[in-house]
Amino acid sequence: MARAELKEARAQNFGVGQRLARFIRKYGWSYAFVLPSMFVFTIFTLIPVLWAFLISFQDFRLRRESTWVGFQNYIDAFTSQNGIFAEAIKNTVYYTVITVTVNIFVALIIASLIQPLNKYAQTFFRAAYYLPAVTSAVIIAVIWRWMFNTQWGFLNYLLSLIGAPPVRWLSDPDIALNSVILSTVLTVPATGIVLFSAAMGSIPKDYYEAAELEGAGPIRKWWSITLPLIKATSLYVVVLYTIASFEVFEKVYVMVPSGVGNSTQTIVTQIYQKVFNPSLSQFGVASAQAIILFLIIASISVVQFRFFRTDVEY
Amino acid sequence: MSDKFKKKLSRRRFVALTGSAVAMGGLLAACGDPTATTAPAATTAAPATTAAATTAAATTAAQATTAAATTAAATTAAGATTAAGATTAAAAPAGNFVLSKSGYKGSLVYWVLGYAPGATSGFNKSTDAAVANFMKTNPDIKVEVIGYTADQAGFAKVANAVQAGSGVDVFRIPNDSLPTLIKDGLVAPIDEYLTAEDKADILPNLFDLVRFDNKLYAWPLWVPPVAMYLNLDVFKEKGVEPPKSGFTYEEFVDIAKKLTFKRANGEQVYGYSALIDPGLVDTWPIIFSDGGRPLSADNTKYTFNSPEGITGLKKLTDLALVHKVTPPDFGTQKLDDILTAMKGKLQAMWTRPSGDSSVLKTAGLNFDIIQPPIGKTGKPVSAGGVGLIAVPPSKDKAKQQAGMDLARYLTSPQIEKDVPGYYLAPGARKSVTVVDPYSKFAPIAPTAWITPSLAAWPDIRTLIHPNLQNAVFGKLSAEEALGKPADEVNKLLAKK
Repeated sequence: MARAELKEARAQNFGVGQRLARFIRKYGWSYAFVLPSMFVFTIFTLIPVLWAFLISFQDFRLRRESTWVGFQNYIDAFTSQNGIFAEAIKNTVYYTVITVTVNIFVALIIASLIQPLNKYAQTFFRAAYYLPAVTSAVIIAVIWRWMFNTQWGFLNYLLSLIGAPPVRWLSDPDIALNSVILSTVLTVPATGIVLFSAAMGSIPKDYYEAAELEGAGPIRKWWSITLPLIKATSLYVVVLYTIASFEVFEKVYVMVPSGVGNSTQTIVTQIYQKVFNPSLSQFGVASAQAIILFLIIASISVVQFRFFRTDVEY
Repeated sequence: MSDKFKKKLSRRRFVALTGSAVAMGGLLAACGDPTATTAPAATTAAPATTAAATTAAATTAAQATTAAATTAAATTAAGATTAAGATTAAAAPAGNFVLSKSGYKGSLVYWVLGYAPGATSGFNKSTDAAVANFMKTNPDIKVEVIGYTADQAGFAKVANAVQAGSGVDVFRIPNDSLPTLIKDGLVAPIDEYLTAEDKADILPNLFDLVRFDNKLYAWPLWVPPVAMYLNLDVFKEKGVEPPKSGFTYEEFVDIAKKLTFKRANGEQVYGYSALIDPGLVDTWPIIFSDGGRPLSADNTKYTFNSPEGITGLKKLTDLALVHKVTPPDFGTQKLDDILTAMKGKLQAMWTRPSGDSSVLKTAGLNFDIIQPPIGKTGKPVSAGGVGLIAVPPSKDKAKQQAGMDLARYLTSPQIEKDVPGYYLAPGARKSVTVVDPYSKFAPIAPTAWITPSLAAWPDIRTLIHPNLQNAVFGKLSAEEALGKPADEVNKLLAKK
């Protein structure tokens, strides 16, 4: 709209000053309202991100002179510690693929089950399912750590009831990452449920009535009406969960703080270990790894936008 | 041209432009002059660095690290040998250690390793009592205590806090984390605050671990070696005679096997466990028992992959994989897990430095402390670091002096008199006398391999750690585990 106005003004041969004055008169307040949040965003997000980008090309020292090292930090990110960062990327992708898929599926199913209920029941279940989202992730991780304890954990107690041998959930390198994944997928995907539930609630009932008249059953209606019409929400939820999964940290850090070999290394645990290392020498490498993470997430998000984009409106 | 097409075209153009901008930015940044271009952060940090009054500027860092390399190795056994005598010598220097003559009025923030706010452990209480005593004598100075954990994450936390340049006025630090801070000019030299009596009292070889470029940078506090804790009630329960210092690895395995059993109520007891963490050396006495050491005597070469190192690591891995005397989570356990097992009498033996003996004592556990088992060398061996108290440089010289006064008091013989039981390990001064159970660590200290005061050491131990874990899990052979980090460690050592 604003762009159209400017074009119009340009077409009428107004001078730059006049056009700007006209623009400010018309839209100045709007920009004034977004200015505080833009200011906060600039100070606390944009500048740190740009700074991290600069640091990724430096041998950065907080208290003494830093030097430019070109792409050396990017090379070191992949070659140091016997190439553990590549392993961390692989682990993170594995974690993301499974947790995002399962979380989206579970969220869709639960939201669909809530949908036919009456208004009060819907509100109750939405609130109940949202509870984990307001619980500290660290607390959840601590509880899971105890549940996974090989000697006195709840899961091995359950296994013992059926005579199964105990599983080394968090101390077997072949199992540890899967245990972290299990703890994630067994935690209700609260945000997804609430968003899907809201999206499903806004689909006009006429479509379902028409489909029923044509003889469509519940599964056919879900597949042919519900899923296509919540595609925009699905895109949002998928992108949201993908980003969150790529940034997995606190669960791993709390559950296996000393690691399990390198089997539970993820991109962010690697970044953390580089930054919070007593040698204080790896800020540059950590920043390079953070930029690589950004590029991975951005690339995947672009693909997801392409895949899930929809022009359907109702 | 349809609206839809326009939209697509502009989005594509936007992506292309953004991509070009990022690439150009990267190229510009990468093509910068690699010689002396000052980064934005370095510009702002410059005054702070100069404020350190040429303490350990970047220009002297190289020499400092070399000094560390040459002195640290020589200090290992020698320094600790003298430490052992600390409990016997008793010529305490005269003077009032607790009184600060700095004239400083204000607050000091003291970062303490192993201190947990609100906890009721003996160490917490003695730290609180020591600080309270200092504040009572110096009412103008308020000391705030902040705790951090004794592991890699904790050491990193304090190092980052010191590097941030505020909120830390005095801090506890192990000797192997000190060189990095000195290199960055983040620690004030103590030379001008050391009296002749201090110099005569502090074990001279410990000074070698804090001497860089001919300056001394921290107050040595104590030498906590790793020892073998025996949970005596578990021994009694199974009728096993507790071993004495000098017992062999084979005897250790035999005992551990006897003490790995299931109680009638279903409780599983394990013979042995210890923490494996990049910041700890709790299991290293077993790896060292055949004579292997991570670095050469002059700290210039990685030597853990020697035949002695490999057989030593195999001894550790055999405990889990062959003899099955360790808990299933051995290698990933946290301190709380082992403390719970020890207190619950679910574990018979534990290799650990002296500090936690206060926790077990407070819990009323019936335990003893002996030398870790002996291997092929036939000689007892332990591992440990030297606990130090350091002070960051400050523009406010009165404040810096107050910090030094607090550090001096906290490492003095007077503190043990003011707060009995303050010392949790053999002291770094000849005049310090420690009480039971810490006195039991005194004969072990002379046998301790001390972590090297090398700037690269935190990175080296991080490289070694996951390989040790994988060996314990049975994913790597001892030879593979110790051979894997060799090239990278040697590169780090060559860099210094």
